Amino acid sequence: MNRLSIAALAFSLVVSGAARADSVIILNSDEASYSILSRSARTEVVRLPVGREPHHLILSPDGKEVLIGSTATNELLALDIKTGERKRVVKDILDPYHLGFSPDGKWFVTAAYRLDHVDIYHADGFRLAGRIFIDGLPSHIAFDTESKTVFVTLQQSGRVAAFDLATQTLKWNMPVGNAPAGIVMLPDDKRLLVALTGEDRIVTVDPRDGAVKGSLQTGKGAHNFFPKGDGRHYFLSNRVEGVVTLIDTKDEPKVVASVRIPGGPDCMDITPDGRELWVTQRFLRRVAIVDMDTMKVVGSVPVGKSPHGVFMLKSTATVTAGAGLPVRAASTVSDRK
Amino acid sequence: MRDLIDLWVGVQAWLFETLVSPVLFHFGLMAWYEPGYGAVEFVMLGVVQIAVIAIGMRYFERRWPLEKAGPDDSLVMVDRIYTVLNKLGLIPLAVFILTYPLVQEIELAVRSWGYMPPRLERLLPWIGDNALLSFLVYFVLYDFAAYWLHRGQHAFGWWWALHSLHHSQRRVTVWTDDRNHVIDDLLITLALVLFSQFVGVQPGEYVTILMVGRLIESWSHANVDMSFGWLGERLLVGPRFHRLHHALSTPAERHIQDHNFAPVFPIWDILFGTAIYDEKTRPTGVDDAAVDADNGRGWLVQQATVFGRFLRALLPRFRRRASVP
Repeated sequence: MNRLSIAALAFSLVVSGAARADSVIILNSDEASYSILSRSARTEVVRLPVGREPHHLILSPDGKEVLIGSTATNELLALDIKTGERKRVVKDILDPYHLGFSPDGKWFVTAAYRLDHVDIYHADGFRLAGRIFIDGLPSHIAFDTESKTVFVTLQQSGRVAAFDLATQTLKWNMPVGNAPAGIVMLPDDKRLLVALTGEDRIVTVDPRDGAVKGSLQTGKGAHNFFPKGDGRHYFLSNRVEGVVTLIDTKDEPKVVASVRIPGGPDCMDITPDGRELWVTQRFLRRVAIVDMDTMKVVGSVPVGKSPHGVFMLKSTATVTAGAGLPVRAASTVSDRK
Repeated sequence: MRDLIDLWVGVQAWLFETLVSPVLFHFGLMAWYEPGYGAVEFVMLGVVQIAVIAIGMRYFERRWPLEKAGPDDSLVMVDRIYTVLNKLGLIPLAVFILTYPLVQEIELAVRSWGYMPPRLERLLPWIGDNALLSFLVYFVLYDFAAYWLHRGQHAFGWWWALHSLHHSQRRVTVWTDDRNHVIDDLLITLALVLFSQFVGVQPGEYVTILMVGRLIESWSHANVDMSFGWLGERLLVGPRFHRLHHALSTPAERHIQDHNFAPVFPIWDILFGTAIYDEKTRPTGVDDAAVDADNGRGWLVQQATVFGRFLRALLPRFRRRASVP
């Protein structure tokens, strides 16, 4: 596609508001920019500046904004859900590496990866309720269904910690394995899956006390989850192995499919029609497109340096929890269908 | 252009996933996963720089030399070792390992106090629309800091003891730029990394600035009889401008080396009154027998003897301080 066509496409997307239905946002973490891609044309439409070291992004509870955590400028940048353009800045959110809203939409939590603390905010107005300092590189977060507890992986110390949202106090802090990163609560609300980036497996953790209940070999550098959307299957990126695996969580988790995605696959999102999985390839400066039926790579879109978070601009209905509010923990959607 | 980027990151990813990633994974060093990938790019950039110097810049030195071949030619060999060690990342790796924890601590402390690195794009949004312009602005800021650090290297006795190693070379060539003591490298790197973080230079931009800047600095040491022209010499530091900074001092020009400090943009010397533009050709080196003795020594001996020089310059200062009641 030539530059003129891309410019025309960008213009038409912005003018018509069609970006909502057709666009994908990618955070280029190493060059302080985000790319807006056209899903249908599978091309980068425009690249815009955003803060510094952006890693993850999330849909706001009202479904009107996409919030980008700009880690090194200590702020959130809100993009218009319709156009992907910048709307406002939420300041004084320290090191928002990973971020998420509780299912009831009342709490907003960030994992400050480099500053070693977990911040719990009242989602309304982003008022800080409590800051909990905890060693070990707080990495990824997940919530329980009742919005009472937030679970945080601690990548360096090899532990997972659980915090009470209402009192902002530690409930437990348990070892789970080497370099835990992605974490997701299964729909039964009784099992947490934790990806061990320093190993080649994921573990099942009891959310009541942090006890490790099971283990599943997936691939070296098991890193991050994304639900397929059927309430049962989850995609898992394995960064070192360069593979995305599909895990069936009914009964004991097991690997049911895999696809080779080189270049340190990381965050994922699914197209609104449920047919394609888009995966950021950190090292290749690309986004891979996987056909979910055949589990084969069907496309690849060049983007900026070290692409990390990926987000489909789409109807909030596809990410809505039982309570009617969107549940997202930055590219790790809680799936409760 | 995209094909070139794909080729570059393809090689980088292959090298990383084949050689580095398995080692990091095996030894449980996944916290170094992303920095490790960056380190591979640094080494690749180093190979490109060495190729540009050895093939491109050397062509000009052979074709239009300023100083003809002579007995001092053999003194250049050690500078080649410095260049390879620096460009392939061995010295930077050591410097990185030593400075990274300190840089992290300082950055985290400052950030936890609420300081946010400014982004020029916020003050001047139109800069963000132009990647080249944005790069140039940060490059100029970076060079400004490097200019003042260079003045510091000449102003403080203990720092000059280290930096004099760079100046002791009698045969200044494209290989001379990397001839520095590791402690000098450490101090400069620490200062420039902190400066870059505080003014908001992105990691990606920093690597590009470093790459372009160091290549220009290698060229500014070239033994060539060439000029960028009146205007060009005022826009970019070239061999003629920088050679004066390496000139051997004489009774008539006792402080000749306290001029033309700028690493890349001569504007700093012009603004702060340290620029000299003339057509004279001067011998290079340092008018101090102890410093001149660096010539002919190997890398390790140079590092050891200059470290001794550094300690001798530093210790009396401490003794004086200790004696103050």
